[in-house]
Amino acid sequence: MTRAALGLELRLRARSVALAGIGLMTVAAITGALFPAFGESLGKVELPEGVGELLGGGDFATIAGWLDTEIASVYGPLVVAGSAIAAAAATLAGEEERRILALVLAHPVSRTRLLLAKAAGIALEVAALGIACWLGLLLSVALAGGGIGPGRLAALAVHLAFLALAFGALALALGGVTGRRAVAAGGAAAVAVAMYLVNGLAPVTADWLQYLSLFHYYAGHEPLRNGVDPGHLAVLGAVTAVLLGVAAAGFRGRDLRG
Amino acid sequence: MRMLLGLARPTAGRAEVLGTDVLSARRRIGYLAGDFELYDQLTGADVLQYFARLRGDVGQDRIAALAERLEADLRRPVRELSTGNRQKLGLIQAFMGEPELLILDEPIAGLDPLVQHRFHDLLDEVRAAGRTVLLSSHTLSEVDRVADRVAVLRAGRLAVVDTLEHLREIAVRRWEIEFDGDSPDPERFRRLPGVIEVDRNGAHLTVAFEGEADPVVKAAAEYPVRELRVRDDDLEQVFLRLYADGDG
Repeated sequence: MTRAALGLELRLRARSVALAGIGLMTVAAITGALFPAFGESLGKVELPEGVGELLGGGDFATIAGWLDTEIASVYGPLVVAGSAIAAAAATLAGEEERRILALVLAHPVSRTRLLLAKAAGIALEVAALGIACWLGLLLSVALAGGGIGPGRLAALAVHLAFLALAFGALALALGGVTGRRAVAAGGAAAVAVAMYLVNGLAPVTADWLQYLSLFHYYAGHEPLRNGVDPGHLAVLGAVTAVLLGVAAAGFRGRDLRG
Repeated sequence: MRMLLGLARPTAGRAEVLGTDVLSARRRIGYLAGDFELYDQLTGADVLQYFARLRGDVGQDRIAALAERLEADLRRPVRELSTGNRQKLGLIQAFMGEPELLILDEPIAGLDPLVQHRFHDLLDEVRAAGRTVLLSSHTLSEVDRVADRVAVLRAGRLAVVDTLEHLREIAVRRWEIEFDGDSPDPERFRRLPGVIEVDRNGAHLTVAFEGEADPVVKAAAEYPVRELRVRDDDLEQVFLRLYADGDG
């Protein structure tokens, strides 16, 4: 019965995931194609400390630096984590606010299992976007004239997907506890922006602050240069699991709104 | 109603349905919420298919038969449907599992009279099969038409639970008696047991009473009666009185 909920979740979201994936691949490919013209002439841009960090390093001389700046720092998280947050807010709190869940939950399906089916749907959507991102990066590097192997590109896509899962779980937790879509989407997006700033500005404020930001575990290890960091992925995975637990506890224990 | 489906939790006490806790009873219940939405982008058929899979034991033929009876168009996306046509989908998903208990909140909202009639036929079949329907309605003519037993909720509390038949019995009866010549002294009737009010107007006497009719009949029979007209309270007045009693 929860397979039905998962199937529906994927079906409702297929279109927007496909569009986001195509967008991601297109932008990545164009970025790669532009590297020979722009990257080498710009070289390493000297930006004030902090600004460079916020923008992903400001190093345009290498393909890794170029992609870090153009894709990995802002655009990738915006699309993938943004999609996860939007989907999580719509599927739980959104359906509750629209009074769809009252009919769904009158059927013999437990709230926890429904929540997990929806979470699994979001995870598959994020995985699809991660693969789209990887394909886009492969194309991008090929158009740029090579320089990064498929493994390193996959490492970035995996880190990005784990980051998106954690923010999606945050939106589920906020939606599960409050039943309000605006709180789920807005709250998770606000936390993401705050964490992005904390991570970028930590070098000029206090280094330890970066450990509070999920972006540190996404990009701190520089996956395009160093590959996957299992420890950082474990942190993102653990945060996701805890937030899912919060979502389930919050959703199970209260009256349905509407 | 939401508590009986586990959608809301009791602040105190516990709820049981069909002799079991509310969550395990859901498989045996069909529910129509009073105010609901469906997945806009799906067709009626897809929405019902989803609910059927959640329930796990619903045949396609059953869905098709209900759709035909209620004249529901299952091919159109939900967002294109009128309120009444969405309501039909809600009714189909409630009835399609042939549940032992149907909980229906304002089921005829938005339905045209013909479909209302078909819905009442469906209710009759369910009742004939020995299954139970718990129906909530603000429309008293609807209650009058379908209910055997009624529960009246007043400010969140059960004001009364009774059979409709008995509620009709306890309704205040109002008889207008026309006498041949001047009507008798109203005091004679006011002293009778059960009599609430007596009005005199020439040859006419209007007697309002509860319970046994016998004393009124006997008293009237002492005089030459030309005509007797019965003006019972309708259900609405019974309910209004129940609500008014609670205010005292």
